[in-house]
Amino acid sequence: MRKIRILLADDHKLIRGGLRLLVEQQADLTVVGEANDGREAVALAKSLKPDVVVMDIGMPNLNGVEAALQITQANPEISVVMLSMHSDESYVLRALKSGAKGYLLKDSAESDLIKAVHAVADGKSFFSPAVSKVLLDDYVRKLKRSGAEDAYDLLTPREREILQLIAEGKSNKDVANLLNLSVYTVETHRSNVMEKLNLRGIPELILFAVRRGIIS
Amino acid sequence: MHASAKDTAPAPLSSGHDSQSKERARKVRALLFLSFGWLLALLIGAGTDALLSLRQLDTVERQVSSRFSARSQALSTIVVSVRVYDDQLERFLLQDQLRAPSPDPSDIANKIAEIRDALRGFPSDQFPEEQLLLAEMQNLLLDQENSVATVLTWRPDARQQRAQQFIGEQLLPWRTHILEISQQISTVDGKRLADENLALALRFQSMEERLVWLVALALIAGVLMSLVCGWYILRLERQGRQRYQALARSRLELESLSARLVEAQEEERRSISRELHDEVGQSLGALLVEVGQLTKLVPPEDRVTQAQITHIKSVAETAVKSIRDIALLLRPPMLDDLGLVPALEWQAREISRRSDMEVEVQSQNVSEELGDETKVTIYRLVQEALNNAATHASAKNAKVTALQGPDKITVEITDDGDGFDPERKRGMGILGMEERVRRLGGSLTIQSAPGKGATVTAELPLHLVDSPVNHP
Repeated sequence: MRKIRILLADDHKLIRGGLRLLVEQQADLTVVGEANDGREAVALAKSLKPDVVVMDIGMPNLNGVEAALQITQANPEISVVMLSMHSDESYVLRALKSGAKGYLLKDSAESDLIKAVHAVADGKSFFSPAVSKVLLDDYVRKLKRSGAEDAYDLLTPREREILQLIAEGKSNKDVANLLNLSVYTVETHRSNVMEKLNLRGIPELILFAVRRGIIS
Repeated sequence: MHASAKDTAPAPLSSGHDSQSKERARKVRALLFLSFGWLLALLIGAGTDALLSLRQLDTVERQVSSRFSARSQALSTIVVSVRVYDDQLERFLLQDQLRAPSPDPSDIANKIAEIRDALRGFPSDQFPEEQLLLAEMQNLLLDQENSVATVLTWRPDARQQRAQQFIGEQLLPWRTHILEISQQISTVDGKRLADENLALALRFQSMEERLVWLVALALIAGVLMSLVCGWYILRLERQGRQRYQALARSRLELESLSARLVEAQEEERRSISRELHDEVGQSLGALLVEVGQLTKLVPPEDRVTQAQITHIKSVAETAVKSIRDIALLLRPPMLDDLGLVPALEWQAREISRRSDMEVEVQSQNVSEELGDETKVTIYRLVQEALNNAATHASAKNAKVTALQGPDKITVEITDDGDGFDPERKRGMGILGMEERVRRLGGSLTIQSAPGKGATVTAELPLHLVDSPVNHP
């Protein structure tokens, strides 16, 4: 069986060491390289072509967000798991915008890293449960205080289905095939969803899905 | 670089110097008072003197002319009386030839007494020349009186015989003589009048001269004093300007000093935050990973060790959390990692989580390439305003708006809290914000009233990125 090839990017040697230890314990995972900063991570991703890059969001020279953007734009087949200390929406959204598929809190790296790597290697998203909880809490609190309606309740069952599939990373065409619909219909549903939820772009859509626990 | 201190007068700061300058100011005031008083006195003196002199001259002139006319009148009375007397005496003496009614001898005696009275009543003021003439006239009159007393007692024959002789030898020469004397007196009087007029003219002239002198003196003194005053005013003005400049300079220095203080504070915070986050935080993070490994190495049956490890883990987690909170408070890495708007949004959510206030952030055109100082200033300003709103004003909702224009960025923080009087209740926090904003060339306004919420607005000129920020 082909092992999942992993590139570790973190400016702290201690953390890299810990992560490597975790990864090497898995039979189907292997660390192919370690980068000390964002620039190095971009260069190594280009030359090593790993399956997954596990990257710290804040690094010197080129921060994780910028590095992830460059990597995913140049090599769409590489999946990025962002490591962060922050469970705040701003960071999650920024990571999503940079093309990262997974968002992992450093606190829970030890227990969730393996799951995250497997998920993103499989083309799925992964978010630390703590992140989903914070996002949901913020959302609920805001709704409660403003007295507004949960926009999710406005969605039709079909729209919810499409929201989930898109958030999981499927293209319009994939969704159309799965649901036996025309691409045009999917397109229409999708824009309705975006409008009802007041979302701008896929990253916000994914964030919403994570918040509502539609994906993890 | 500021101008060095040597080209300015030393600012009077010490209290010793202060009392000294006060003493000097008092002296100058006294001197001014004295000089102006003196000048005024001079002017008043000159005016009064001129007025008094004029009045005096006028009086003297009146006196002189009235005396002269009194004398002329007295003299003409004498002359007329002498003529009448002469005429009457002549008619009396020649009554036989004329065949006209003769005057009464007593009338003639009366007439001469009249002349005597007129002479006695002559307004003389002991003027020797006149006195002499009057005495002579007196004597002549006495002679006449004596001779007439005899003539009047003549019997008609004696009168007929001697009348011609008396008239020719005595009466006519007497009359001529007395008229001559009166002529002389008149001349003397005229001369005296001329003399007195001359004296008056001289006095007038001297008064005029004195007045000219006084006026000239007052004029010179006035000019001198206005020169001195002008110089003094210019000097005061120069001193005032210098002091103002010194003040402005020291204020500038103070501002740059406080700016450096703010900078140093921010730098210090940043470095402590980084140190905490990078070194302590990462080490603890690594420790957590290791502890997790440890759990797997220890067999699950060993409950005691497992519990111990779980405890270590929770302690480490608490430590990680506090370190992170402290680091975030000192210098939010969001500013460096994400840029201004996400950092503001993060802050808004952070405050919403911690307090009862819901914060909304709206932004428009805000660049991610803002200068570090601008970002930090806005971040801290929003932090301060939101904290005030949540903790002191018990606001329920707050809104942060950031708008970037072509050459400035405007940030507004509005809340629906209790509000305050912006003039009176200015916390140190807001003052610090004002200081920071002003230092960047911006302006800060606070609109609020008790019960009306508060709006803090800052306008900052755009300082584009000073250096690419790539901190972890």
